[in-house]
Amino acid sequence: MIIAERKPFSEIFESVQPYDKILLVGCGTCVAVCLAGGEKEVGLLASQLKLAAGLRHRRIEVGEITVERQCDREFLEPLCDFVADYDAIVSMACGAGVQFLAQLCHFKPIFPAVNTTFIGVNNAMGHYTERCRACHQCYLGLTGGICPVTMCPKGLLNGPCGGMLNGKCEVDPQKDCAWIKIYQRLELEGRLDNLTEIVPLHPHARCTSPGTVIHPAYKRRYGVHE
Amino acid sequence: MSKLREALDAGRFAVVAELIPPKGVNVADMLAPVAALKDKIESFGLPDNKQAEMRLSALAASRLVQEAGGEPLLHLSCRDRNRLALQSDLLGAAALGIENLLLVSGDYVTLGDHPDAKPVYDADSAQLLQVARRMMDGRDSAGQALHGNPTFYLGAVVVPEAEPPGPQFLKFKKKVTAGAQFFVTPPVFDLEKLRIFQRDMPAYPIKLLAGVKVLTPAEAAQAESGQWRQVYRVPPEIWERLQGKGEEDFFRAAVDLAGRLLRQIKEENLADGVYLMALGRTDWLTDILKIAGI
Repeated sequence: MIIAERKPFSEIFESVQPYDKILLVGCGTCVAVCLAGGEKEVGLLASQLKLAAGLRHRRIEVGEITVERQCDREFLEPLCDFVADYDAIVSMACGAGVQFLAQLCHFKPIFPAVNTTFIGVNNAMGHYTERCRACHQCYLGLTGGICPVTMCPKGLLNGPCGGMLNGKCEVDPQKDCAWIKIYQRLELEGRLDNLTEIVPLHPHARCTSPGTVIHPAYKRRYGVHE
Repeated sequence: MSKLREALDAGRFAVVAELIPPKGVNVADMLAPVAALKDKIESFGLPDNKQAEMRLSALAASRLVQEAGGEPLLHLSCRDRNRLALQSDLLGAAALGIENLLLVSGDYVTLGDHPDAKPVYDADSAQLLQVARRMMDGRDSAGQALHGNPTFYLGAVVVPEAEPPGPQFLKFKKKVTAGAQFFVTPPVFDLEKLRIFQRDMPAYPIKLLAGVKVLTPAEAAQAESGQWRQVYRVPPEIWERLQGKGEEDFFRAAVDLAGRLLRQIKEENLADGVYLMALGRTDWLTDILKIAGI
């Protein structure tokens, strides 16, 4: 899932200073799981905004709504009419959600309330770690289910760098070297032969942003021909 | 053919001394060892923003070394360049007659003095070796023909003391396959580690330059406080010998130690040569070579 962290309150508050009627839009999927922008966080931010405005002797109206997914047109479109009553929108979704909401709600200033950080996993309540950099070329079959692009800070594809020390990473000694984990995993699986060939340079052309994926079954519908 | 390659191919013990490109444009200090040692040693190593600290370009420094009459060993790091820039610099080096290359992944940016810089790593060191090798055959990494093929003597890094050793050997083998002709090790203080590495290393047609370094009081302080984060081990008896010394005495003892290590490596034939790190100080480099009998 997408992991995000809420922005400092002062940054959010400053961004909406010129507006009296603000709509907070939460997202019920990834950012809700990582406790950054779900329904509860919308309620908390609304209270903070109202209190902070009150301390400055201002009365503001803060609307609250949380949709299941801000990255999905199906859930966003019903919001468009609702938005009309407000001066500005604060989205608590990831960057994709913020942009989709901005695209659908014209002429309304929109501000993000979270910093989107990475694609990761929920290890335990409040503890999330990165696992995927969406690099368009998955090497996990070759590397024992451990991603060298993500788990090695240098994204090295052909083995550890010279900075590995006692199995730990040069960049953060608290973390295991990804290549040691890959090697050990493949050794246990009897698949070390996977690592004998030099992996060629990564095809970065595929990573040119913004990316688009059209499912093969829908190519005709969207006028895409192979 | 470069002097370094000629010496190593002929089985002569080779010495490369590392210079320190300045943070600025005053190059006199960097070049001082060249005038003093160019006829005594084979080559001068020019690190490429070593330890991710921004300094004068290694390629420009290599050219300056040539103009001063020395032979450079140019380091090229994958950290700061994508494949276009890497290949462009490789061609530039070849056009300037710089043949010796040390191709490295590069220390990570957050360890250096520009921690917010974007790390590149478009290629890793094995891939870069492969790219350089293919360029020698007249093709760039996209398969396009070159107008004039470069000549390189390709070097890479190997860490004999890596623990666990398996993954490091894997990378080492890939580097050999990719075209590495010689290897440089990090500093070695525990010669037994080098003996074991030489014993266990498969019979590849490569040359090995062992790292010899002048230890610094900062490293001693690191070791004493348990903050040691180097990929080489310094035996406790060495630290004991250096303990409690003022800076001048410390360096005198560290230079003496480096000279003795160099002599032992040469006498025992533990490597085909050495890569000498003495903070680019002419006096220390001269003393080390003298103590080693070179």
